[in-house]
Amino acid sequence: VSEVIGAVEAGFIVYFLALNSWYAVLLVLSVPEIWENTRLAEDEDQQRLMQSDALPPITILVPAHNEGATIQGSVTALLSLEYRHLEVIVVNDGSQDDTLDRLRESFALYEIPRTYPERIATQRVRALYKSRTRTKLLVIDKENGGKADALNAAINASRWPLVIAVDADTLVEHDALIRLTRPFLLGRQVAAVGGTVRVANGCTVRDGRVVQARVPRRFLPGVQVVEYLRAFLFGRLGWNRLGGSLIISGAFGLFRREYLLAIGGYRTDSVVEDLDVVVRLHRWLLARRIPYAMPFVPDPVAWTEVPESARILSRQRERWHRGLIAAMWQYRGMLFNPRYRRVGFVTMPFFFFGEMLAPLVEAVGLVLTLAGLALGIINIPFALLFFLVTWGYGMMLSLWAVALEEASFRRYGAAGDLSRLLRYASVENFGYRQATVWWRLRAFWGVFRRGHTWGEMVRRGFRESDSPAASGTP
Amino acid sequence: MTSLETLLVVAIGQGALLAALFVLIVYTRWYAQRRAARIQPARAALDRAMQRWAMGPAGENEVVAALARLPPVVATDALATWSSRASGERWDALARRLAGAPWTRTLRRYAKSRRWWHRLDAARFFAAVATPADAPAILGLLADEHPAVRLATVPAVARLEDPALLEAELDRLPTLTPTVVGYHAGLLRRARDALIPLLLARLRADQPGLAHYAEFAARLGEPALRPALTALAGHGEVEVRIQVARALGGYPHGESQAALVALATDPAWQVRAQAMRSLGRLADRASLTLLGAAVEDPEWWVRLRAALALTRLGPAGLDVLFQAERSAAAGARDMARLILGLPPQALAEFSA
Repeated sequence: VSEVIGAVEAGFIVYFLALNSWYAVLLVLSVPEIWENTRLAEDEDQQRLMQSDALPPITILVPAHNEGATIQGSVTALLSLEYRHLEVIVVNDGSQDDTLDRLRESFALYEIPRTYPERIATQRVRALYKSRTRTKLLVIDKENGGKADALNAAINASRWPLVIAVDADTLVEHDALIRLTRPFLLGRQVAAVGGTVRVANGCTVRDGRVVQARVPRRFLPGVQVVEYLRAFLFGRLGWNRLGGSLIISGAFGLFRREYLLAIGGYRTDSVVEDLDVVVRLHRWLLARRIPYAMPFVPDPVAWTEVPESARILSRQRERWHRGLIAAMWQYRGMLFNPRYRRVGFVTMPFFFFGEMLAPLVEAVGLVLTLAGLALGIINIPFALLFFLVTWGYGMMLSLWAVALEEASFRRYGAAGDLSRLLRYASVENFGYRQATVWWRLRAFWGVFRRGHTWGEMVRRGFRESDSPAASGTP
Repeated sequence: MTSLETLLVVAIGQGALLAALFVLIVYTRWYAQRRAARIQPARAALDRAMQRWAMGPAGENEVVAALARLPPVVATDALATWSSRASGERWDALARRLAGAPWTRTLRRYAKSRRWWHRLDAARFFAAVATPADAPAILGLLADEHPAVRLATVPAVARLEDPALLEAELDRLPTLTPTVVGYHAGLLRRARDALIPLLLARLRADQPGLAHYAEFAARLGEPALRPALTALAGHGEVEVRIQVARALGGYPHGESQAALVALATDPAWQVRAQAMRSLGRLADRASLTLLGAAVEDPEWWVRLRAALALTRLGPAGLDVLFQAERSAAAGARDMARLILGLPPQALAEFSA
């Protein structure tokens, strides 16, 4: 028994070293990336870009299901974005609330016939509406088919070569679209571009815009600020130098429409449609040897509300991990397949062995360590020191993300916010991380049982209560 | 060394790194605030000096002195902001004056730096205040390995209107993506007098990368380019014909109309669709019959463009659509119904 436990423990240590060495590689690669992107963002002549008619036209796709409370504000904010050629398509995906009525009243909608061929099959479209007051707006009313189906209906109706999927509750910064098109101006063969998603909880929101970024005082949303910084600022930036990540956030990602049409749009039976669509795009483009880039650009920002309760957060994380497992299983043929080059040999293996299996390995390691300690076959000081090092490493990665934020965009200007960021980055690995491991572990036995739904997300909405004064922050 | 000792060393090293990270984060915040506090008053003083200079004949010395008090990169930012607000001649005079300022020598030297961000600073500086003496440095930056540097250099080319620089810019057009070509066209419009003769020389049937030049010409939309574009209507390359069909819609001229009529029967549907759209823009009633026939085209997009073009020809065009609505051809009938069902506002948008 002791030999078996010892061997497994050794395997666990090797896994830990390999995974964390890879994180270190990403960490190093993120430095030149953040430097380059910060310089380009600072030097950009926004005024000139706004006046130029060269920037490719963009359609914003907004799937909406029971979003009556926030839809008017969200759509108004999207229509006011600074971009010359813009179209917003809102898809009312069989809402049972007053989403469509709110849209009708707020934007003086009138029905129009359909003027486009249905390239991707979707649930039945009941009607199309244009607005008398906002010419850039198109509303599709369709039968419920889920978020992916709603996005597909919007892709069908889109007139422009670039589409950007935005959640109805996402607050997109006024200049984010101009910034998101930077890779096109730099002459790259872009298939998709990802922007940064940040946590809106606790921020001051006015007229659908975040006017002051704050770090929430409450632990759960606060610690997610650090998580999002880590995921976007060093995780995805590091992948820029390795052929692109497998994830472009569903809340804020730009895609070339023709490629989405070519792969048949979003899959309606996928648990996490954004991950699935990016993997399929990589597969389709690489199989056809079409040169492409899928860069992540850190300065275009969209703000989103994150769960404030452990119950909702656990469901969200479980769903995300279920999506990852399902996608890795479905596209396992890409693993170490020379046809898919760097994606097959680097990106997919990382997501498969690193991201997908990590909670499983961590849990097994923990159980075996406890068993080893109980049987007296593991040296107690060694075990304690090992855990200390793993925790320290996790803390270092989080602090690194905070350091990147401070060296680049510095969105959280108040000293109190920086202090909270440092505090959350320091304590994240004590308790919170273990909870996320448990939530992600649950995904393994949930993966084949559950179907795909829109998921539950209790939204507080961006009201005056989000202002610092009302939420009690200084 | 035992494994426990090794781990202890790792832990101690990690602790030191964590402490260093904490210090780095706090120091970065402190340094940024201190720098902003130092620069902001100087930048505000420059803006005040610039305002006075822009409004009256005097004040150039004050501007030059205020610029010298700023770090070169911040001064370049200020120049980039103000270059679009000041009048041409006075700005050129300021640019000549700045050519001798010590801080600008640093930026000029940056043009040959090994660091791309320094070269980017140089490009931005040249974009704002380049003088003819800077042409060789700008030529080098136009061929820079970093795309952001090349992009930032284009306004400097437009500013100097130097034929050698414009030739270099045209040389690399075929290697650029359509978005970048469009952006360049917008910037280079300012140098049209020097640019058009050079571009005309490249709008020849045997010119390599002709489609890119035709696209560039279409985006410039200069009347002097019309005859050359019309002559390319029968070119063998589809992409060239598409660009010509698109461009000719901007030239209300008998020759454009005749060329578009020929392109309306092109074997490639993309050319036909573009020709229909341009015929709609020209809105010449002579194309009524042609557009009516195109509503029965086998390709959906051609039918759509033809039907939309008919709506721009007034009652006569609508009559043709009403006839198509009763046509035996299902495609034409459906398209006519679709377009006739659109409210005027939606119609205007779809035609755009």
